[in-house]
Amino acid sequence: MAADVRKVPEYCYQCVAGPDLLQVKVENGVATEVEPNFRAAEVHPGGGKCCVKAYGLVQKTYNPNRLLTPMKRTNPQKGREHDPKFVPISWDEAFDLVAGKLNELRAKGLLDEVGYPRIAASFGGGGTPTYYMGTFPAFLSAWGPVDFSFGSGQGVKCYHSEHLYGELWHRAFTVCADTPTTRYVLSLGANTEASGGVVAAWRHAEGRMNRHLKRVQVEPHLSITGACSAEWVPIRPKTDPAFLFGIIHVLLHRHPREALDVPFLKDHTGSPYLVGPHGYYLREPQTQKPLLWDLRRNAAVPFDAPDTDPALEGEFTLDALELGADGETWNHTGVRAETAFAKLVRHMAQYTPEWADKVCDIRPGTVQRIADEFLAHAQVGATVDIDGETLPLRPVAITLGKTVTNGWGGYESCWGRTLLACLVGALEVPGGTLGTTVRLNRPATSRQASVRKGRDGFMEYPMNPTDKAHWAERPTVRNAYSTLVPLSANSPWSNALGPTHLAWLFRDGSPEHWPEVTPPDLWFVYRTNPTISFWDTAAIARRIAKFPFIVAFAYTIDETNWMADVLLPEATDLESMQLIRIGGTKFVEQFWDHEGFALRQPAVAPQGEARDFTDIATELAARTGLLEKYNRAINRGAACAPLSGEGYDFQLAIDCKHTSEEIWDRVCRAASAEVTGGAATDGLDWFRANGYRTRPISRRIWYLFLELRKQGIRFEMPFQERLLRHGVELGNRLHEHGIKWWDTQLGEYQALPACKDFPGIWEKDAALHAKGAEYPFWLVTTRSMQYVWGGNAGIQLMDEVSRNMRGHGGVVINTRTAERLGIAEGDLVEVRSYLHDTQGPAILREGIRPDTLLMIGQFDHWATPYAKDMKAPSMNSLVPMSIDLTDATGSAADLVRVSVRKIAA
Amino acid sequence: MTRWAMAIDLRACVGCQTCTTACRHTNATPPGVQWRKVLDLEQGEFPDVKRTFVPVGCMHCADPPCMHVCPSTATKQRADGIVTIDYDLCIGCGYCAVACPYQARHIVHEREFAYADGPTKSEEARFDEKRMSVATKCTWCVDRIDSGLAKGLKPGVDPDATPACVNSCIANAYTFGDLDDPQSNVSQKVRGTTWFRMHEELGTDPHIFYVWDEK
Amino acid sequence: MNRNQPASVKPWHQTNWDWRAALNFICGGTGTGLLVAAALFGGAAYPWLALVALAFVGFGLFWVWMEIGKPWRAINVFFHPHTSWMTRESIVAGPLFLAALAAAATGKGWLIVLAALLALAFLYCQGRILKASKGIPAWRAPAIVPLVIATGLTEGMGVAAAALAAAGGLADRTPIIVLVVLLVAREIAWRRYRSALAASGAPRGTLDVLGRMHRPFSVAGNWAPALLLAASLLVQSGAGGLTIIAGAAAALFGWYAKFTIVARAAFNQGFALPVLPIRGKGERVPGAKPGWQKPAGG
Repeated sequence: MAADVRKVPEYCYQCVAGPDLLQVKVENGVATEVEPNFRAAEVHPGGGKCCVKAYGLVQKTYNPNRLLTPMKRTNPQKGREHDPKFVPISWDEAFDLVAGKLNELRAKGLLDEVGYPRIAASFGGGGTPTYYMGTFPAFLSAWGPVDFSFGSGQGVKCYHSEHLYGELWHRAFTVCADTPTTRYVLSLGANTEASGGVVAAWRHAEGRMNRHLKRVQVEPHLSITGACSAEWVPIRPKTDPAFLFGIIHVLLHRHPREALDVPFLKDHTGSPYLVGPHGYYLREPQTQKPLLWDLRRNAAVPFDAPDTDPALEGEFTLDALELGADGETWNHTGVRAETAFAKLVRHMAQYTPEWADKVCDIRPGTVQRIADEFLAHAQVGATVDIDGETLPLRPVAITLGKTVTNGWGGYESCWGRTLLACLVGALEVPGGTLGTTVRLNRPATSRQASVRKGRDGFMEYPMNPTDKAHWAERPTVRNAYSTLVPLSANSPWSNALGPTHLAWLFRDGSPEHWPEVTPPDLWFVYRTNPTISFWDTAAIARRIAKFPFIVAFAYTIDETNWMADVLLPEATDLESMQLIRIGGTKFVEQFWDHEGFALRQPAVAPQGEARDFTDIATELAARTGLLEKYNRAINRGAACAPLSGEGYDFQLAIDCKHTSEEIWDRVCRAASAEVTGGAATDGLDWFRANGYRTRPISRRIWYLFLELRKQGIRFEMPFQERLLRHGVELGNRLHEHGIKWWDTQLGEYQALPACKDFPGIWEKDAALHAKGAEYPFWLVTTRSMQYVWGGNAGIQLMDEVSRNMRGHGGVVINTRTAERLGIAEGDLVEVRSYLHDTQGPAILREGIRPDTLLMIGQFDHWATPYAKDMKAPSMNSLVPMSIDLTDATGSAADLVRVSVRKIAA
Repeated sequence: MTRWAMAIDLRACVGCQTCTTACRHTNATPPGVQWRKVLDLEQGEFPDVKRTFVPVGCMHCADPPCMHVCPSTATKQRADGIVTIDYDLCIGCGYCAVACPYQARHIVHEREFAYADGPTKSEEARFDEKRMSVATKCTWCVDRIDSGLAKGLKPGVDPDATPACVNSCIANAYTFGDLDDPQSNVSQKVRGTTWFRMHEELGTDPHIFYVWDEK
Repeated sequence: MNRNQPASVKPWHQTNWDWRAALNFICGGTGTGLLVAAALFGGAAYPWLALVALAFVGFGLFWVWMEIGKPWRAINVFFHPHTSWMTRESIVAGPLFLAALAAAATGKGWLIVLAALLALAFLYCQGRILKASKGIPAWRAPAIVPLVIATGLTEGMGVAAAALAAAGGLADRTPIIVLVVLLVAREIAWRRYRSALAASGAPRGTLDVLGRMHRPFSVAGNWAPALLLAASLLVQSGAGGLTIIAGAAAALFGWYAKFTIVARAAFNQGFALPVLPIRGKGERVPGAKPGWQKPAGG
């Protein structure tokens, strides 16, 4: 038979480091090979390549374990121990079941008796499922309030504190180095080579090969990224703030002030603001503007007074107003006041590098040396031209990883990092530390557009109110982000960002003076498996089992949809259709010189009865009477791009059902028009053939400093007056309602954070619950490119190739520690926390601290076909979910104290 | 003359195994048979430890021991240096496999599938009976090279004429081309960097150049 | 298959040649050695000793045939006499059988000599087959060739001596002396082989296996039979019994040695880096050769 061979352009967005543009070879109707979309090298900053996970998509399509027909549960008993006894049903019956339930709930009211949305939905990591769920967001938008409270890892397995503080300080939902320009990267646990995607891997490699880009990797074990770095510093877990504070000390106390970027600090940060005796800025009484001391006038002037030379340091006498929390004010006359910077210098005096070396348990002299290197590489004073704009060139960057940026110590780490960048003027400038994208500020499509000047000269930030009149006393969703976490803001992402574990935690009983957390009447689940990917997974499974009606869009059986009532098999990556935005600056290290759109399309027909997600969403909308709202949502842009704009209108008729192809054809036309300024209106056929369409953009959008300079805005560093005020107010509100269980978290709201005994928090927690047992080891985890965010534990090819990298499928332990415990390579060991235990073969390595154990990824599957036979250990069932281990942003860390013992040779 | 060669920059490799999977795809090898794979090597003692990722496979040696020992002449070397296996001649004796100091050769006697239930559609579509019970190994995607050349493409530059591992690399670690052409990618890479070749002391004259530093 | 097993960076045992290949070296060595012994000392017993020898050689070849992936293409084994010692071994095998059978049938001296010479050639090919296996440090050591030859001849002579003694036909003491000499030669070849491996460096797995083999092979396989044979020369009665025991030990421990070398000590080369890459900045760091014991003084 003559082979009918086609190559079909696609995108892969299995992880937040996407999208990767690829093509699938289809031979006689069967997808056989994945390869990069080579043409994309012209626009894609990673040479147009696609990562290893994309190569799993062929197996994913033809996995014999797939669910290929809708199913319904016949066993009313739910729980790990109860076989759901799923039976196949027709799509018609499935839609009847789901739409019937939805209509019943709608008739009762969109909110339940406590006030929470009746419908909840959980999607997987970093919003990636939205790149596969077609127009389902339009359906949810048409429905009304939906609770995204129930997390599947958010807060624990994301860069939670970085998201919040990053957006506050520099519109940085995530943070990365300006890799193409930087020369020195200090990376505390940022596993860039595993989770930074193709673009990061490509650019860092280029830097190593061609530009002597030196990266120092500071982390308890020698990760993939550590391996690719010039130096590994094996730090004690959770002492990263001490490491950063030690460096700050060196810069402030052991180098002349002129070595820092003094003009940057004076003109582009809050360093010269004067701080009053109560710890708030001193303000001009009439305007309430913060004051600084002008050396030209030798007088205090508002921060935005023209033609000033602000004093960076010093103590001054002035008359001023001080504004505290909850409207408290102090009118000062002849008050002595220091600048914020002077306070910082004094505050950091205690954190010497010698102290930091000891706390971090690293070689003496390391912190001092790295601080000196950092400063030497900063090239303070250098400039560079970016498309006609002169910008500072500061080729030093600091990146932070998971477990550094979440949980206790996350605030201090993020603050230390951002401050360090400011001290040398390396924040949001070429070569420096950059934010990637905004998710909490709006509009989400542009960091620049999200920048607005606030009253104190810093960027405005949509804090959840803490004042008496506006504080959200009653949580609107089950995780209570708007009530407890002012910084979490109130964008569509805030809800899903959480503190999502509180929804799970409080399902077992609300704490004192807190409303009951009810189960959602209907829970949609897609591309997520919280029963595996969260903390204390056994408890999560028990709680899911109590949800009355679960609708899972299901690829195979897994540990979460084991508890579902209806399984809907959606057409997967290579079988369905969607257009997405690409380019610009995105999560992780996706800094492009282009932006536009890319199509995912059916390379092969859906297997079995799997159905395109858009068609599923349309049918649900039709059967719930929401078709008009649904079509309107699509017209507004809920499916990638608004269907009308200047000079074009491709809106759908709102009163009828449209096929997936019709809908995406319209979206493609609108996208063509948008990206070409109306010059082209090519539809689906064009995108099918070409895959993507982009336009060039200026690199100026990479550097937020430009926008701040243009608007005369300062970075809110180093002094956190605003956070302090919100913290005090939040405390007042909670105490007014008798709530004391968040008091420890309130202590995190400090204007100049102190370095605390962060490891001690976990050590004490373990000791408290130890019941005589000892847990002398740290257990940490790490990501691998083969699995990170992929939801691909059931793909044999990933299992096979991941095992080429040492550590998968076992418990990594230091060689000498293992010898001391009588553990040999391959011995079955048990790792136990006070909560649970897990088992796996020992993998002996030198590249890990003697007091630390490591498990890669998250496995421990018991229902997912293939994965359940891997018998890989997972830390998730060992990590307790508790308020005590939750920080003020509502996050915790992938970290637990454990014991280890040999079970069998 | 043409002499194909490959340079792999160990400074770049991140151990992602994308080349491993790309090779598995392009060459339709069965589960566990990795003509190309990336090793994870650790050196030193805590805390002075280094970890290196090393892509390995057939080195297309100029003096290939596998070819010398092959009793059937199935293993041959082309004029352009590529070491090939004629699946119709090979008797599957495994002598080449023990002669190769790079562990690059594989012999599979029973069909293996990704999942226990039998072949997936893609596995079924690509099964090649000829490859059963004979020696197989990396071919540097010789089919791509030959068909690419026939179309006037340049191996190492044009993806359709270039080995899949090279095409797939997300760290730009691979360079492929004609060592006899001083202007080729690989010649320039080799000329401009410091490199070694694995097990060079065994006299195989391998043609993968491992770059470890600048010139 | 290494399906879903971690890619090892240390040498692992080769999986291509198992006990069946080992049987070829065992039986081929003993058979050819026996042919040589029969030619030298067989006398009237030559025909049946030659037939036993051919049975050995044939048995070994049979198992190789059973091991190859495409047995019905076995004829292709003859295609590469230019460089392949496996082809050469196969080519020698035919005339070897013909000459030995003809010698057995006719008893002609020149045929017997020819058969013995072909047997030596076959045995030499076996040694060279191993030596050409560059991927297996335990095999590629040049000292493997004298060891293979020495043990083949020792095994054959052992079998011949034991058989002749059992048949009561060992009036002449020369075979016993020759066997003692061969045992000593084998011991020397073995020691040279081991020290050559230690000197050149080898996978730890290989050296461990060979280390464990050393005492039984050397003591029970070489010295003990040599002493027994020496004793048999001195004792008045029971010499035949001692010769049988010693001859059997010479053969059995030769088999043990070859089985171990082919199927237990055959760790492959593994992988090595003479120097580690400099990732961005840094000093030159010495490389890694996991799973290897460095050469003495290296």
